This record gives sequence, structure tokens and C-alpha cells, in this order.
Amino acid sequence: MGGYLGVVHLDQVSKRYGRGPWVLRDLTLEVSGLTVLTGANGTGKSTLLKIAAGVLTPTSGRVTRPASIGYVPERFPSDVKMSASSYLAHMGRVRRAAASDVLERLGFVGSLTAPMAELSKGNAQKVALAQAFLATDVLVLDEPWTGLDPVAAAELVSLLEGRTALVSDHEGHLASATRVDLAGGHVTIDLSRVSALDVLEALEGVRSVQTVGASVRVVVAPDRSDQVLAEALRLGCSVRSVR
Amino acid sequence: MIALVRYLAADVFRGQRYLAPLLVFLGVMGMLFSSDAGQPLEAYSGSSALLYPIAAWMAVVVATSEDVVRREITVVSAGGWPRVLAAAALVAVLICLVLALLAAVWPVLTNPHPYTAGEFFVGLAAHTGVALLGVGVGLLFARPVLDSIGRTVLAVFSVVVLTYPLGRATPLGWVLDALGHNRVSPSLLGTAAVGVALVAAAVVVGARRA
Repeated sequence: MGGYLGVVHLDQVSKRYGRGPWVLRDLTLEVSGLTVLTGANGTGKSTLLKIAAGVLTPTSGRVTRPASIGYVPERFPSDVKMSASSYLAHMGRVRRAAASDVLERLGFVGSLTAPMAELSKGNAQKVALAQAFLATDVLVLDEPWTGLDPVAAAELVSLLEGRTALVSDHEGHLASATRVDLAGGHVTIDLSRVSALDVLEALEGVRSVQTVGASVRVVVAPDRSDQVLAEALRLGCSVRSVR
Repeated sequence: MIALVRYLAADVFRGQRYLAPLLVFLGVMGMLFSSDAGQPLEAYSGSSALLYPIAAWMAVVVATSEDVVRREITVVSAGGWPRVLAAAALVAVLICLVLALLAAVWPVLTNPHPYTAGEFFVGLAAHTGVALLGVGVGLLFARPVLDSIGRTVLAVFSVVVLTYPLGRATPLGWVLDALGHNRVSPSLLGTAAVGVALVAAAVVVGARRA
């Protein structure tokens, strides 16, 4: 499977979509082995994986990554007109990679020459995994066990052994991997109107600061709410509610 | 890059959405040249005016051929958004250059007025410039610059429709004016230059927006 020397490094990475709330805030992470991302729905796992893979650019922070990354998204599209063999051949040429036996090892059954739209969900997922395993450095996999039968799921665990990979995994397939938990939940603090919005926004753990009527609403990570409250009081705000 | 262009082109042709602009182009070309279309260069003005929106339409088809998720995989595989957007632009330009060549050859075969080699190459240059303009407009408003296909269609349609009444104020107007008066104009090269600049701008804006 080639050399596995690649390392993905995220340094103080934050991400928000437009002017929406912060999805990730000041996250630093180094992926140098098999790393599993856990966390409740909506805690930014898919966003983090897209940033690590190079699909998304972080709002702030730095990402360094090796040249050859394989990526499997959360949901592989189901309406692809191209056949699996044609798709994998094209991806191999784009990557200048040799063909691999991943599809066979995952137990793909069905027509490689039929349009991928005709494949079952599990077989389409195996094609998605096969294109990702063409990468030689790092794998970034978003819930890769989706749709796989137990035998293929076990084989995927075996394929990941010894590789550098960042994987979101709800089901605990990779018990021995390094685990990174993206803390879920948030605390909403309503303050009296404050002029130093930028000071609040820059505080660690703050995901969004918005003016709502006569109040300023601050959404903050649970573990940082005490520090944010203290800073708000220091700025002369009065606290209207915390929930 | 060649492998990426081959993949994106194969995806476009497999998807068959390219058939709609192609058939509209062929149908209207057939109508335009079903009888005497006028003097050689004048005859090219109708097909040039037609190729502009067809090229914009074709560019949108190419830019949105892959759905969002598959495009993400391609971006990771190819090593970044700029390479993928440049390859997609190249595919759109190549397809539209074929249409430009077809549009330049068609009246040579069907128009009763004889064409000189010089007139043919002027027509080819005019259609090439107009095709590049159309591709640039299409890509500037397609994904990833605008995420919604509805907004893309509305924006491209608006720009294309507004271009015609502006006359010589636009590069398309330069071409149509020169051909309509049956004369060769250096502004044909200017149109091609603006078209190339628009395509390049679309790739840069798309890479920043993605």
C-alpha cells in the first residue's frame, strides 16, 4: 500500500459558514496514525474532515497535509452514470496510482461495467472506499462503514491497520485508535448591549456573537462558559440569561 | 491535468445534459442557414449571436456535471480546487471550440455565396471569441461561485439577455457589428482576449469561493 509517512496537522483551526455560528473553534490536531473522531451530530466532524482533506478552507488557522490524500464523504452520490470500473480507472489516472485490490478485498459483488447508479448502497460505498485507497499518504473517511455488510466492515478495519487516517466512527469499529472527541452542546448567554463585540468574539470557546433586539447573544462551548461570563462582567455587561 | 480533463469530459458526455444546448445549437443553425444567409461575413453574425448563449449554457453543464459530493472527491484526488476548476474550464472551452469550428464551416457548405479562406478564418476567429465569452459568463455564475442552479440560470440568462441591447458597448457587440457590416475588425481579437480573461477570472473566483 505504499509509504504511510504523511501527517495532517491542523493548527488553531476555526470554521464558520458565512456569518453563521462557529462550527469549529481554535482546534489543534495532529493526525500521524489511526485517529478516530467522535462527537454528537452537528459538532463539526464532517466539517473538520473536509478541512483536513482540503475540500474546505478554514476561516482561520493553518492546515498542512501531504500530497496524496484519499477522501470518502459521508454520503456517496447514488446517481452516477459512469461505471465503477471506468470511475476507478479515471481516478487512478488522475492520481497516477496503480490499481489496488481493495474492491475485491471488500467483497464487491455486482457489475463493474454497469452505471454506478445501479449499484446497491453497500457496493457504491465499496467503490468510494476503493478510490480513496488509491491515495498513498493519508485517508480521511467520513463514517466509512455506512452500508457495509459485517464481513466488509471487518475487512475495512483490517485495511486501515498501519495506515495514517482520520476517521469519523459512531460505532466503535476502531477500538485501538487514538480518539478525538469534538465536544457537543453549547451554552447561550444573553447580555445587555455591549460595544466590545469583537472582544467577546475573540474569546476562546465562543462560537457566535449576535445582536438580538436589545441584547447580545453569545453561544459558547460548555467548558468555556465561566470564563466568557467573567470577561463579560469585566466589560461591564449585565447578564440577562444563561441557558 | 490531461487525466483530469479526460475524466471530466467523460463525465459530461456520460451525463447527456450537454445534448440540450447541442440540439438547440444544431436546430437554430439549420434554420439560420436554410436559405440565403447573406454576404459571407454577414452570414456569420447570426451564428455568432447564437453561439454566445449556447457556450454559456454548455459551460454551466460542464461546471455542474459532477454533483457536489463527487466534486469534493475529485478535488481531493486532483490536489485542489484550482486544478479541477481549470480542467473544467478547459473541457468547456474545448467543447465550445468544436461548436465554433462547426459554426464557421456550416455556411461555407450551405450558403450560396462563395467563401474565401480569409473570410472563413475571420468567421472562425469571431466564433472563437464569442465562444470564450460565453464560457466565461457561464463559469462565472456556476458552481462553486453560485451554489444554487436556480441562481446560476437566472444570473447567466440575465447577463446573456442584457448583452444584446448594449450593442457595441460589449465585446459581443464588437463582433456582431463588424460581421453585420461585412468587415474585418481588430476588435475580433479583443473579444477573444476578453473571453480568455473572463474564463481565467471564473477559475480564480471559483477557487477562492470554494
